[in-house]
Amino acid sequence: MLSPKQMSRATIIGHKDIFEQTVNSLHGINAFHIEDYNDEELGLKIGKPFENADDVSNKLIKIRSISSFLGIKKAEVGKQNVESLFEELDTKLVELDDEVSKRTDRKNEIENNLKEHDTLSKELLPFSTIPLDLDQYRGYENLAVFSGVVKGDIEFELSSITKSYELFSDPKSGTIVLFVLKEHADAVSNILPDFAFRELRVPEISGVPAELLKKLEQDIVNSQNNIESLNAEIESLKSKYSNFILASDELLSIETQKVEAPLRIATSEHTFMIDGWVPNEDYDMLARTVEDATDGRAFISRTDVTKEEEAIVPIEYENPKISSPFEEIMDLYARPRYSEIDPTSLIFISFPLFYGMILGDIGYALILMGLALGIKKLVKSDAIKPLMNILIYCQVSTLIFGVIYGEFLGFPLAGLETHGHYIPGLIAGFNTVDLFLSPFGNEMVTYPVHRTHLVMTMIVVTAMIGVVHINMGYLLGFINERRKHGVVAAMLEKASWFVIEIGLVLFALGYAGIIPTAIGIVVFLVGFVMLLKGEGITGLVELPSLLSNSLSYTRIIAVGLSSIYIASTVNQIAFDMIMPDSFGPMTIFAIIVFIFGHALNTILSIIAPGLHALRLQYVEFFTKFYEGGGRKYDPFGYIRKYTEE
Amino acid sequence: MAVEGAVLMDPAGLKAIGAGLAVGLTGIASGIAEKDIGSAAIGAMAENEALFGKGLILTVIPETIVIFGLVVALLIK
Repeated sequence: MLSPKQMSRATIIGHKDIFEQTVNSLHGINAFHIEDYNDEELGLKIGKPFENADDVSNKLIKIRSISSFLGIKKAEVGKQNVESLFEELDTKLVELDDEVSKRTDRKNEIENNLKEHDTLSKELLPFSTIPLDLDQYRGYENLAVFSGVVKGDIEFELSSITKSYELFSDPKSGTIVLFVLKEHADAVSNILPDFAFRELRVPEISGVPAELLKKLEQDIVNSQNNIESLNAEIESLKSKYSNFILASDELLSIETQKVEAPLRIATSEHTFMIDGWVPNEDYDMLARTVEDATDGRAFISRTDVTKEEEAIVPIEYENPKISSPFEEIMDLYARPRYSEIDPTSLIFISFPLFYGMILGDIGYALILMGLALGIKKLVKSDAIKPLMNILIYCQVSTLIFGVIYGEFLGFPLAGLETHGHYIPGLIAGFNTVDLFLSPFGNEMVTYPVHRTHLVMTMIVVTAMIGVVHINMGYLLGFINERRKHGVVAAMLEKASWFVIEIGLVLFALGYAGIIPTAIGIVVFLVGFVMLLKGEGITGLVELPSLLSNSLSYTRIIAVGLSSIYIASTVNQIAFDMIMPDSFGPMTIFAIIVFIFGHALNTILSIIAPGLHALRLQYVEFFTKFYEGGGRKYDPFGYIRKYTEE
Repeated sequence: MAVEGAVLMDPAGLKAIGAGLAVGLTGIASGIAEKDIGSAAIGAMAENEALFGKGLILTVIPETIVIFGLVVALLIK
């Protein structure tokens, strides 16, 4: 529970005749982490993919490109039988490819046409009011044609050059089409710039522009309809084939993994050697399966993990199901190393504990619990589930502390009599019970614990919790260090902290006059020297962290109080708005303020306590013992989702 | 003049100012510290998204400053 899964190194050697069977059987059990072979020093070569590798990967590429074109999303669908899928894969893939490409080709063609029509209609538009066939714009021996846009009226200037011209114009858009004799063309083109003449290209088709435009518009509408119907067809293809695509994607991915496996394996001319890791508990199963698949022709050997290998062993967590969601939190930081303590199960207790102590509110616990359960039910994602489980654990703890603190959405549940004032609670007639006088700040400890009136006590209590938590860290550090570098190093580096702390306590007792002060000082110095010997100068630098780290735990009360103050401020604003008249427009505003204020605080209630509780683990706790940096155990295999054997 | 000044100073008001300064100044300090770490963390995340966790943790480390400010403000009250 407190350490990663025990592994062994396994080597499988055999003749190439049984290579494929061996790889297939290893893939089937999904428990063997292949160590990639990459040095050629042993005189062995990296293997070549199996024969059908090209074929399989081509199909996979095809299916993936179709899948991304159709926008297939992962979904929960029934599993398909591998054998029948294999049989129909080729024909169905060709059929699918055909259907898809037929439609995409057609769609592309229409879209290209559409673009051409669009440009043409833009070109035709200026000529739409001129009732000339486009054929009449060109092909003259003695006539020059000017077509374009001008500003103003050119007829006066024109008539000073020649009387024999033909002018068609559209006063609205300024389009003109001018026919003059070739001999006047130069003179005309000289005056045209005065009218800001811009030449227009005449489309190389025949017909009257207005009629052509009408026809084009009709064509464009038709093409758009065609595209829409094609889109609908593609959509129906998507729903028809999505199961097939998901399943065959998976099937082909598995095949690719298998056929490309030799690339990770050492081979000689006639033999292969697979090197890797397997959890101890799975070794027998592995040996049996491989032997069955190869009729005992493969040679399998097993060695325990050596000291040198500890740095490269792939790490698999071994935690009870209940605490396994917290592996996510571990992975966020770093996987443990092989010889290290895996603190997942400790975080399973301390993370929700700190979260609950910070938030501690029945109302928010219920809201967030409902939210987490709802999201867990609605979103079927493997990434979300552990996070929601963590959130649920945290809310259970928040609920318990909510009962201890007696808080509901920032309201105190119980009334409190303090220094002559009476602060009413949410439940009439329910008052706090005095338990005992706290030794700090002259505060009365009550049930329910009124945090706002026990600030001093709570600060001391949370700092104490910090001291306990940090010392747990040193204890774990001691165990880790002993495993790694022996008892002496562990004593000097980690146990020295205990000696220093004992020294400080004795000094405090001496200060109080119970024992001589010198004892405390001597013990402290002994611890300090041990630390200096163990850690060197860093020990000196780290010494003040004892104080700052334990004070850091006061955030448990500080962040908690800030959350209460936000909630009670929202409540106060909302209730002040209602007070004057019993029901009116202000009541509606008050309800809005209440809802939005608490919604905001609910979101903050996930982020603030979550981050702070997390930080207490990572920064204050982990730095005392945890190194991390283990490699992820990634067995050769596949967890089937859409297919079954 | 000095006497008059002392009379005008309400102890409760001074406490409130002190508490406000404690939270406000430490808040600014945390902000200054976190802005550099935060932008570096985002930069690292752009290179490798798996660094999100570590970036987040490193970014919130100076949060302690404002927490201490908050604790001091609570003590002043």
